[in-house]
Amino acid sequence: MVGFSQLRRAYVTATKYALLEQARNRLAFGLLLIFTPLWFFLFGSIISDAPVAFKLMGTGAFLQVNGHNMTVLTSGFNALTLIVGFTLYSFTRNGSRFDRRLVLSGYRQPVLMAAKVTALMGVAAFVSLVTVLIMLLFWRPTTFGIVLLGYVCAALIYGALGLLLGVLVESELVGFFLIIMISLIDTSLQAPIENPLANKRFLEYFPSYGPMQIAVSGGFTHTLPGASVALSLAWFVGFALVGLAIFWLRTRAWNGRQRNQSTAAVTA
Amino acid sequence: MTLSASPLTPSPARHSLAAAEDSGAPLLRVSGITKSFGRHHVLQDVSFDIAPGALVGIVGENGAGKTTLLRILAGELRPNRGEVLLRGALGYCPQTVILNNALTVDQHLDYFRAAYSIESLQRADELVERLNFGRYRRTLVSALSGGTQQKLNLTLALMHDPAVLLLDEPYQGFDWETYLRFWELTTELRNHGRAVLVISHLVFDQSRFDQLYHLDQGRLVVAELTKQSA
Repeated sequence: MVGFSQLRRAYVTATKYALLEQARNRLAFGLLLIFTPLWFFLFGSIISDAPVAFKLMGTGAFLQVNGHNMTVLTSGFNALTLIVGFTLYSFTRNGSRFDRRLVLSGYRQPVLMAAKVTALMGVAAFVSLVTVLIMLLFWRPTTFGIVLLGYVCAALIYGALGLLLGVLVESELVGFFLIIMISLIDTSLQAPIENPLANKRFLEYFPSYGPMQIAVSGGFTHTLPGASVALSLAWFVGFALVGLAIFWLRTRAWNGRQRNQSTAAVTA
Repeated sequence: MTLSASPLTPSPARHSLAAAEDSGAPLLRVSGITKSFGRHHVLQDVSFDIAPGALVGIVGENGAGKTTLLRILAGELRPNRGEVLLRGALGYCPQTVILNNALTVDQHLDYFRAAYSIESLQRADELVERLNFGRYRRTLVSALSGGTQQKLNLTLALMHDPAVLLLDEPYQGFDWETYLRFWELTTELRNHGRAVLVISHLVFDQSRFDQLYHLDQGRLVVAELTKQSA
């Protein structure tokens, strides 16, 4: 039987190496440090300061906000969701055979799954923080912490989506295409500058709706919309659970090795 | 270059293997394995035993069912009928290297130490020295040559001192140096009561094998060994 201390060591080991793998991801760092400020600059440059209306669904109130600042805020979502989605998709897809070998060698699936979620949360937090810090070069929001929370929620959702697509989609091209299209459609619809239909009720059914509500509220007010936080976490948990369920199904071992190292059997 | 000639240190698991050896009980018993994918019958009533210290080969052409049998033995697939009993741990060395390009050699050993729930890396360290790639311990896998990756691939399958080593098409995966060291390791493993099962579409050095089977359209038959003349 594997004791608690061994399980803990296995979890710490898997989490450590998952985070280390991300730390060695030069492409992700390049996108974060070069692509993100370029994105903020380009989008901020083309939009004027003319006021735009954004509806806070929680209160029903319309905020009249600076168009340039609003664009900077929402464009950050474009960059963030793409980077985190790509990163977690590649990480999950490229590691699938190695994960399989670990499970066949005795690694407990729940431990590997917990490590992946921990790594996902670490990546989401780090990328969100760096993105918001870069945003400060172009605009200072009213409540930094709430904006950061909105970005973290978006990163968690798209990180979990990347994980889900990583275990579901075998074609790398299809996976990247799905991330790009889902991210662009989702985040663009939420932005009133880019979408004349923004502020409509149907937008509530899109993944970035909650994070966008949080970020805009923090960007221009001191209010934290609790319902939007709950909605965001629900999307994150939903994507993560489906992704982890598929991971569990695809990495199952039938040799009983995980339960008993001295004798193992597979029977039908 | 002088090859390290020191033998691998026996692990405590040898006691249970010795008991199995003394009793004559096989280390691996495969009974009546049957597997179908829809109407396609891939394996039909496959049965064989592997005794302690034995080197067994299973050969078959493409489409004979080797990969399916291998996946069942490794634990990836569940058979429709039959049983696989193993006394001790299984070490599985896949044909293609399955490693993480973002980690170093040492990090792989640490990772699999957690997977196998073993405390010491002594055996892993010995294997690294025997396979002569110790100078690459801090090198990322992505920077290793194909041959060195193969050595790490084999080390990960052996580092927990398995009772049975399962090898998938080793002749295609190994370079010449690793091939020679593999046979040295195989001899030592057998002398310590471990068993080795090679699954391949062809087998060289048939005289080394204790038993050879031929997998033909899902059925396993005993193959005649071709003994090389001295």
